Amino acid sequence: MKTGRTFRWVALGLLGLFVIAPMAASIQFSLEAGYKGRLSLTAYSQALAEPGLGGSLLTSVKVALGAMGITLVLLVPTVIFVNLRFPRWRAVLDAISLLPLGVPAVVIVLGVLGSYRSLPNFFTGTPVILAFIYVILAMPYTYRAIDSGVRSIDLHTLVDAGRSMGAGWMKLFSRVLLPNLRSGILAAAFLTVALSLGEFAIASIMGFTTFPVWLVSVEGNNPYVAVALSITALLFTWILLVALAFAGSGRRRRTTGAFGVEIVDEIEEKEGLVPLPSAEATT
Amino acid sequence: MTSEQVSAPTASAPTEKAQQASLPSRGGVVVELVNCRRTFGKVHALDGFSITIAPGELVALLGPSGCGKTTALRAVAGLEHLDEGKVMVGGDDITNVPPHHRNLGMVFQAYSLFPNMNAVENVGFGLEVRRVATARRRQRAGELLELVGLSSMAERYPHELSGGQQQRVALARALCAEPRLLLLDEPLSALDAKVRAQLRDEIRRIQLEVGITTLFVTHDQEEALSIADRVGVMRSGHLEQLGVPAEVYSSPKTNFVAEFVGSVSRLPGEVVAPGSVAVLGSRLTIPVSAGSALSTGTRVDVLVRPESITMRPAADGAAVVARASFLGAVVRVVATLPDGVEVVSTLPASEAYTFPLGTRVAVELSGDVLFVVERQP
Repeated sequence: MKTGRTFRWVALGLLGLFVIAPMAASIQFSLEAGYKGRLSLTAYSQALAEPGLGGSLLTSVKVALGAMGITLVLLVPTVIFVNLRFPRWRAVLDAISLLPLGVPAVVIVLGVLGSYRSLPNFFTGTPVILAFIYVILAMPYTYRAIDSGVRSIDLHTLVDAGRSMGAGWMKLFSRVLLPNLRSGILAAAFLTVALSLGEFAIASIMGFTTFPVWLVSVEGNNPYVAVALSITALLFTWILLVALAFAGSGRRRRTTGAFGVEIVDEIEEKEGLVPLPSAEATT
Repeated sequence: MTSEQVSAPTASAPTEKAQQASLPSRGGVVVELVNCRRTFGKVHALDGFSITIAPGELVALLGPSGCGKTTALRAVAGLEHLDEGKVMVGGDDITNVPPHHRNLGMVFQAYSLFPNMNAVENVGFGLEVRRVATARRRQRAGELLELVGLSSMAERYPHELSGGQQQRVALARALCAEPRLLLLDEPLSALDAKVRAQLRDEIRRIQLEVGITTLFVTHDQEEALSIADRVGVMRSGHLEQLGVPAEVYSSPKTNFVAEFVGSVSRLPGEVVAPGSVAVLGSRLTIPVSAGSALSTGTRVDVLVRPESITMRPAADGAAVVARASFLGAVVRVVATLPDGVEVVSTLPASEAYTFPLGTRVAVELSGDVLFVVERQP
C-alpha cells in the first residue's frame, strides 16, 4: 500500500514535469524576452498590439464553434440511431471514424478540394470549409466519446419507456436522451473545439489565416512575442473549455433552491456517479 | 369513453379488493390480439397467436424464454410490428398506431426510469408529454407516488432508490396518465425474492384498485399463478393453454403445460383399461382431458404432482430417499426408484423428519393423475 502510494506520487510528478517543464520554460522565455535575469511583460504587451491578432482569433473561434455544432448535429443522432436500429453497422461506423487518423493532412486537403470544387465559393473559398474538415479530423475522438456515452445508458429501455408514455422523437431527444448523454456530448464538444483551435497544417495549406497560422507568421519576426501569444492562447483555450463545461452542467441545479443544490452535489460526490475533476486530483 | 372506464386510483379503498375480484366486470377495456404472426429470421416468435383479455382483467403470459411472450406484449405496445394479425384495444384496431399514440402504461424489467429526472418528474413524464400544467402534473404524480407508498421519496433520483423502489416508481409512472391498458414486462425478475413477493402483491392490489386491463409477462410460474386472473401458457409463438390458475395447474391440456407449470414426477405406467392406468402398483383413473383415448396396453409416462404422492418409511419399500429440501411448512422429498426414476413428494415438515436420506420408503399415489403421455421408446 505504501509503495503504491509512493509510486503514484512519482508517476504524477514525472507526468507533471513532462507537461509543466516546457510550459514553464516558455513562460520564462517570454518574460525575459532576451534579457537574462530581467523579467518584464514587454513581449505580452507587444503581442496584444500585434496586427491581425483579433481577426485570426475570431476566425479560429468561429471555425471551432462551427465544427462543434456540425459534429453534434451530425454525430449524436447518427450514433443513437445506429445503436438503436442498426447495431450491426456499429463496426462499420467505428472503422470509418478512424480513417482521418491514417490520412495525412495534405491528402485530406487535396481530396476535399477535388470533391467540393463544384460547390459555391462561400463554402470552399472561406474558412467555412475548415469547420467541415475539422469535423472529420476530430471524428476518431468525438465518435468514441459519443458512442461510449450512448452505450453507458440503457438506450433501448429508455426509448421504449419514453415512447410508451406518449413521447415523440423530439421530446425523447430533448428530455431523455440528450440530458443523459450530457458527459459524452460535452467531451465531444471539448475535443472538437480544442482540435480546431490548435490545427495548423490544413489551415496553412489552404491559405486561411487562423490563429495558429497567424502565430507562425509572427514567430518569424519576433519569437518572444510568438511565445507570449502561445501562452495567452493556451489560457484562452482553457477559459473557453471551462465556459463550455459550465454551460453544459446546468442539469440538476434548477430543481430547488441553494440548499437543494448542495444536497444533490454532495450525493453525487459521495456515490462517485458524476466524476468531479477536483476530487480526483487531490487523491 | 376511456376516462370513465379508468377509475381514479385513489378513490376505492383496498377493502373493496375482495368484492372487486369476484365481480364479473371491473371497468377497463377489452384487449384482443387476433392471429398474430411475427418472424425473426427463421424463428416464429408469434405463430398465429390470439388472445382476448376481458375488461379489468389481469392476464399473465407464461412461458420459457423465446416462447414469444415478450414479443406479444411489445406488439400490444407497438414497439414490435406484426407481420400479420391485429391488435384491438377497446374495439379500436390499433395495429398501425405508433407506440406514442397508444395511450398505455408499461413497466420494464429494470432500469427504465429516466436517470436525469427525480421520482416525481419521472412519474409526471406522461403528463408532461401531454402538456399538462406543472402544478396539476405534480399533484397527480404525488397521488400516484402515494398509491405505491413512496411519497417520501418524491425528490429522489433513480440512483438513490433501491431496485424495488425503482419498480414502484415505474409502476406509478406507467399509471399516471390514466392509460387504457397496463403492460408489465417481467417487472419483478431483477429483484430479490422477498421484495419480489411483496411487490407482486402490491401490483395486484393496485391493479384491482385502478381496475385497469393488464397484460403481465413472466417466466416465473409462481408469479403468474399468484397474480393473474387467467394464465396463458405460451410455447413457440402460440398459446398452449389459457385458463384460471387452478385450472392450468391441475388440469393441463398438454404435456408441455403439465411439465412447465408446477413440479411433476414422470412415472412409468401402462394403460390397463380405457381411461385407467397402472402405475407403481396403483390403478388410477386418467382424467378425460389428459389422454384417456390411449388404447389398453400402451406404455405411458404418468405425470403426477408432488402433493398427490405420499411416502412412508417401510423396510421393504421400493424407493430410497435421495434428497430433501426444507421449504418451511413442507419438505420436498426426492426418492429414487430401482430403475432410476425420481419421485418427488411434498410432505408436511413434521412428517418428513421421520425419514432421513437413504431411508427406504414406500411410495403411494393418493391423488389424481395430472397427465398421461405415450412413452417414447
